[in-house]
Order: sequence, then structure tokens, then C-alpha cells
Amino acid sequence: MADRSKVGMEFPAYTMTVEKNKIAEFAMAVALKEEKEGINPIYYDEASAKKAGYQGITVPPTFTTSFFFWTGEGLPEIVKALGIDMNRLLHSEEEYEYYGSIYEGDTITRKMKVVEMYERGKRERFGRFVEVTILETEIINQRGELVVKVRTAMMER
Amino acid sequence: MAVNYDDIKIGDPIPSYTNGPITRTHLVRYAGASGDFNPLHHDETFAKMVGLDSVIAHGMLIMGIAGEAITAWVENKYLRKIYVRFLSMTEPVDWNNVENTKNRATITVSGKVVKKYEENGEKRIQCNIVAKDALGSRKLDGFFIVALPD
Repeated sequence: MADRSKVGMEFPAYTMTVEKNKIAEFAMAVALKEEKEGINPIYYDEASAKKAGYQGITVPPTFTTSFFFWTGEGLPEIVKALGIDMNRLLHSEEEYEYYGSIYEGDTITRKMKVVEMYERGKRERFGRFVEVTILETEIINQRGELVVKVRTAMMER
Repeated sequence: MAVNYDDIKIGDPIPSYTNGPITRTHLVRYAGASGDFNPLHHDETFAKMVGLDSVIAHGMLIMGIAGEAITAWVENKYLRKIYVRFLSMTEPVDWNNVENTKNRATITVSGKVVKKYEENGEKRIQCNIVAKDALGSRKLDGFFIVALPD
């Protein structure tokens, strides 16, 4: 069961560099494609990205999720810190608010905190009772610019 | 195929986008790409241990497919917000029973324009979206906001 005392807790800020091949890999994964040629060239070809009005190779809209998993110890660290039972965990909502673009070579810092924990449904009604944890994360680039704000809702069944 | 603000009307559908069927290989590829190695998404023995019939797709893969649907219509750089609620699990296609399992693993994203407004000096539209499998089961719903040129 999620530990309510963790509301307001901030996770350590983690930093990672956005790698070119990792962008293409992600773009292929969400496009269900086996090769680069099947995806939008703004995700692997610098000239195409610039021609389309980007400063460089950019990332798919949900690429931000990889900053959760590829920094720190990823999801295990998050669930451990919050006392969440991984076997009951479901991702229930995700929101991205975009303030700028992320490019290949950017050094991205994620700053995540626990903003809310609450119960939904009645405890005595099995299967209807869930505990919800809301995380907010700021995705900041190497110039200190907030590029994406993330709001994640996780629940324990 | 550039989308302009002035040409958009409230109620207009967004182009429907279909992909799949999702295979276990797609799940492994997404796990590696995103870093989400929850065994629920690739290890059948783990999935069965927690009471499921099969591994299930990452909710974020379905959201990623929704992102593809959106950016197939408007350019990535115009996106201002995406919000989704995950509604049900998605099982991949079984290779030994393709006919009976491909529909549950084929995802179609559709939606429509619900709002036109100006904010931060930009002309923006808000659209509802829903992702369903080919059996009609809803996988996620939500909305997105894009800023469009005139």
C-alpha cells in the first residue's frame, strides 16, 4: 500500500543525454516498424528534421517516458520509495504538456515529485477500491528550459 | 496536407489511424526502447502468476501509437498537450491462433475536434481521442491540444 507520508517527496534529479539511436529505436517501437525507413525521418535524419522546421533530430511525443526508466533505477526505485506493490500496480493516466522540443544531444534532467495520494472507491467493495498516486515531473534541458511537464497517475488495485 | 486553423470546424473528425496487430516482438522492442522492463509485458510465466492469460502491452505503447496517430495528422512541433486515461489491457496476437487473436491486438485511434480557441498568442484546437481494438474494446481515451498556423 502506498505510503501517504510520501506526499510532497521529491526524487533526486536525474540527468541523461538524448542519444540519436535511442530516438530512432523508440520511434520504430511506437510505429510498430522493424526499420528506420518506416518512420518519420525527423526522428533519424538531421537534414529532414531541419527542413521540417526543427533545430535537429527531435523525439516522438511520448519519448519523455524513457526518462523515467533510463535514469536512476527506473520504476523499481519509484515503487520502492513509495511503498507501492508492483504486482498490484497499474498505470492509469498520463499527461504531457509541451513547452519546447527535445533534440538529439540534449542533456535532460528530470525532476519528479509526489503531489497527491488518495483512495478511490469503497474499501469493502473488492475490486472497486484503488489507491492513486499522482507524480509530477519537470523535464528540463541543458539550458534550464522547461520543455515538458508530465503528470502521471498510478494506481494499486 | 498541412492542417490550418481556419479550415478546422468543431466536430471535424481527425483522420483515423490503424496499426497492428501488436506482437510479442513489438512489446520486447518497446520495452528496450522505453526501458520499461516490467515482466508483465514480456514474460508469460510472470503474467500467469499474477492472474493474466497472457503478457499485455505497455499502456504507454498504446499511448505511443496514439502519438503516432496525432503526428500523422499535425506536425510534432505543434503539439501542446496530450492527456490519456488507460481503460483496458491489450493482449498481443498469438501466432498459433492468428485468426482469433489478431483483432484484439489491432489498434485504431480516432477522434474529433471539440474546441477552437486562442491562448498564449496561438490559435489552438483541442481534440478528443480514443484508441480501440478491432473488437471495439476501448484501450484509452483522452484529448490533445495543438497550435496551428492560420
